[in-house]
Amino acid sequence: MSKQQQKQVPPTPNRRVTLFVTCLADLFRPSVAFACLDLLEEAGCEVVVPTDQTCCGQPAYNSGDREAAIPLAQQVVSLLEPADYVVIPSGSCAGMIAHHYPSLLTGEWRERALEVSAKTYELTVFLQDIVGIPPRSPIKAARTSVTYHDGCAGLRELGIQNQPRQLLKNLCGVEVDELKQSEVCCGFGGTFCAKMPEISAKMVDDKLENALATGATVLTGGDLGCLMNIAGRARRQGKELEVRHVAELLADQRDIPAIGEGQ
Amino acid sequence: MEISSDTFLDNASAALRDTDKAKRRDFIAIATPQIRKAAIDEFEGFDALRKHVKRIRQHSLNNLAHYLEKFEQEAVQNGNRVHFARDGAQLNDIVLDICQQHGAKKVIKGKSMITEETGLNDFLKRGNLDVVETDLGEYIIQLAGEAPSHIVGPALHKSADEIGELFLKNHKLGDREFQETENLVDEARGVLREHFLKGDVGIIGSNALIAENGYSMLVTNEGNGDLCANLPDVLVICTSIDRVLPRAEDATAMLRLLVRSATGQPQTCYTSFYSGPRRDTDIDGPVETHFVLLDNRRSDILTSDYREMLECIRCGACLNHCPIYASVGGHAYGSVYQGPMGSVLTPLLTSLEESSALPNACTTCGRCAEVCPADIPLPDLLRNLRQEENDKKLTSSRWRSGLKLHSWLARHPRLYQWVTGIVIPAMHIIGGSRGRLSRLPMASGWTSQRDFPAPESRTFMQQYKARLRKNHEQ
Amino acid sequence: MSNSSRAELLDKLRDTASGQSAGRIELERNAMGSGNAPFVSANNLSLTYLQNVLANRGSITCVANRNEAVQAVGNYLYGHFRSHRLVAGNDPRLAAMPWRDAGVLPRFGSLEEGEPAALSYAKLGIVETGAVVTYTGKGNPCANHLLPEHHLVLVDVNDLVLNLEQAWEKINGDLGKDGRPRGINMIAGPSSTADIEGQVVYGAHGPRRWHVILLGEVPEETRELAKNNAPTD
Repeated sequence: MSKQQQKQVPPTPNRRVTLFVTCLADLFRPSVAFACLDLLEEAGCEVVVPTDQTCCGQPAYNSGDREAAIPLAQQVVSLLEPADYVVIPSGSCAGMIAHHYPSLLTGEWRERALEVSAKTYELTVFLQDIVGIPPRSPIKAARTSVTYHDGCAGLRELGIQNQPRQLLKNLCGVEVDELKQSEVCCGFGGTFCAKMPEISAKMVDDKLENALATGATVLTGGDLGCLMNIAGRARRQGKELEVRHVAELLADQRDIPAIGEGQ
Repeated sequence: MEISSDTFLDNASAALRDTDKAKRRDFIAIATPQIRKAAIDEFEGFDALRKHVKRIRQHSLNNLAHYLEKFEQEAVQNGNRVHFARDGAQLNDIVLDICQQHGAKKVIKGKSMITEETGLNDFLKRGNLDVVETDLGEYIIQLAGEAPSHIVGPALHKSADEIGELFLKNHKLGDREFQETENLVDEARGVLREHFLKGDVGIIGSNALIAENGYSMLVTNEGNGDLCANLPDVLVICTSIDRVLPRAEDATAMLRLLVRSATGQPQTCYTSFYSGPRRDTDIDGPVETHFVLLDNRRSDILTSDYREMLECIRCGACLNHCPIYASVGGHAYGSVYQGPMGSVLTPLLTSLEESSALPNACTTCGRCAEVCPADIPLPDLLRNLRQEENDKKLTSSRWRSGLKLHSWLARHPRLYQWVTGIVIPAMHIIGGSRGRLSRLPMASGWTSQRDFPAPESRTFMQQYKARLRKNHEQ
Repeated sequence: MSNSSRAELLDKLRDTASGQSAGRIELERNAMGSGNAPFVSANNLSLTYLQNVLANRGSITCVANRNEAVQAVGNYLYGHFRSHRLVAGNDPRLAAMPWRDAGVLPRFGSLEEGEPAALSYAKLGIVETGAVVTYTGKGNPCANHLLPEHHLVLVDVNDLVLNLEQAWEKINGDLGKDGRPRGINMIAGPSSTADIEGQVVYGAHGPRRWHVILLGEVPEETRELAKNNAPTD
């Protein structure tokens, strides 16, 4: 059972979901956000996308600039407060909101952050554990071999591991080819990859090597930061690997080019 | 404490190019977590014990003055002399003084991170003492003139071939070949046995000080620390004030966590408890024993936000599980403490100014905190240190202003969307049919090593708002 | 010099401490109880103990009485060294063994150069970890467990304790009765090192081999285990 599942927000018949698309999906991979819309609607949810959303403040927070992170966190808390459920296609941003906001904010804001935290879910956790997306008939078979990269925040802060694999199986008929050292970081780490690029490159090379060793043609995962890092390095190294966010696979949106691929 | 952490990035860069050592690091980074996991899976109560020991450690630190005095009282009653050292220099002076009082020539040492911290060896050598490290790993790096690369396995960065060459150069034993690791161990055994038998003073560390009875716990597999503790006439135990625990059973409860986390064993070959000089009933053992208890800023850490760092039991699990440690090795950190625990402790024991790269050598992946047997939130502590760096303006001003600008922009959604609505389509066009960018202004860190995946033609917000408008019009 | 450091440090620590009385601190610690130990079935302690000794790369023999014990020591020594040379501490329990019957005449004292094997009589055997406990003293000069090539230990089956907590109960009882020995040694295997490329090698500084002889009545299963794992030369 995931850590998020234990929070027990009783599902209401009319599930109104607020989608926080994340800044990376907004700017670099809108198809992920559209895939989320499709999936949530398929699961019978009414989806609201606040158009005032920008960034959760993670770059500032992790770089040691709380002064800059706090107003952003407050902005996000205010934005998400009216929601019944908040769904985020990123373990890292969901972890920031659900796990770190309550310790970043103080006083009344902390209380408000805790309320938002209690109804915030990463996409695959929400689909698998909370709404339980109905099985498809027939399954839209991905007809490909897939390996999965577990983002660190999702894995360790939110306990996400089984949910995306189960969804890939139920919705796409895909059994994940597990990569070795799957619990090891890909070297993204937010600003880390730009501050310490050489070390980051060694880490992402290890990840790529393990991914390619599975023989899978597609690498997927729940965090765009990791996926852009892995795809960017694969392109630079001339390695063949189709990198996509798990929402794209689940929503069967493989017609657009993979991350870092041309037309 | 002398460090060279300011050149972390250069050290790391050099380490990454040393492919031979990198291969060995990769091997250890895969093997050690497996060994630990097997041991912890077998002991199902690990998490419960971790919580229990944490409560005990916090209780001990909350009442540190009480337990230190209690320990001192018992240790003195057991016949020891107990010294307190404010800093490394004072510890070194105290130890040299003891050696000189006894007219010592040869000092034999067991593994002690505290004396690595204070640079005791060099200090004693300047006092004309012959200092021999007897832990095999420490002995190897002493021959090589290097610092430890790992708090538990100090010479794990060295290949058997390199060690063979060191032995050939330093041991005058004629022509010989080292076919197996066993041959190397055997030669060291023979050479070190001579040193053991001739040592005038033995110096060891301590894994725990037991307040209720004044014993000190020593945990080793080689038994070298025990030889140092038993053979010379004078024994000096150097440790730090945060090692004190209320009871003997607390020390062995901690031992259960420590050994599984470090080597995957239920107990090391030798777990020894020493109370003082030889008794009337003894036919051997030291005639004089000393404790030197080091503060070196630990009393400051105790009242800081980094207090939990004092609960570290030096098992090395965070090093073994850190992908950055695995990538660059221990020497890159430029400190006797490496990896996540070292990146927290080094700035606290020295200064952030000297070690500002270390708190940034972290992706906040959280694997270290997950395995830490002392349950120390290492990524949080590292983030707090980055906060201090930011507050002290130790980070590059370009970074700081970039982040500030980004945060400011993100607080103004309309402006943010207007700006990104221009930049993103432009990036899409530059990416062209390749779907990626090889260079990006202000993102050279990223593009030095990887391409930047080109965005789609418009941001999500642009597309979504257009969709909303269209639906509205219909 | 260190005296002023002492006062300065303790004053500083007292300022930041909880300020509770010694009695309250003791009560607070009492309330925390003991840590949890790995589960050990009390069903057949001797079997689990010897399994754990084997896991620690020790070798094992089971003997029913003191006659068998001296025979086992004699056989072990002859098997490994083709001689019966042995050093043992001045432990009355060892002195009272029928050594002549096995043709072994131990030298009682501290191991000297060239002597390959030493024998100790353990105070306790810890089932949880497969360790033995000895106290330093005339019965256990430190050279005897730290310097020989082979270290042999007799463990009485009645001296087995379940875990480390129970070991401390017994040890603390001894400390209360006889005072504090200079050293309390828990030994769980031959001396080993993994300092060269992480490869485990035995006989780093001390014994290359560690042999435990369990003395007393044990279930058939335990004897079978010992028989099937008889020490090799």
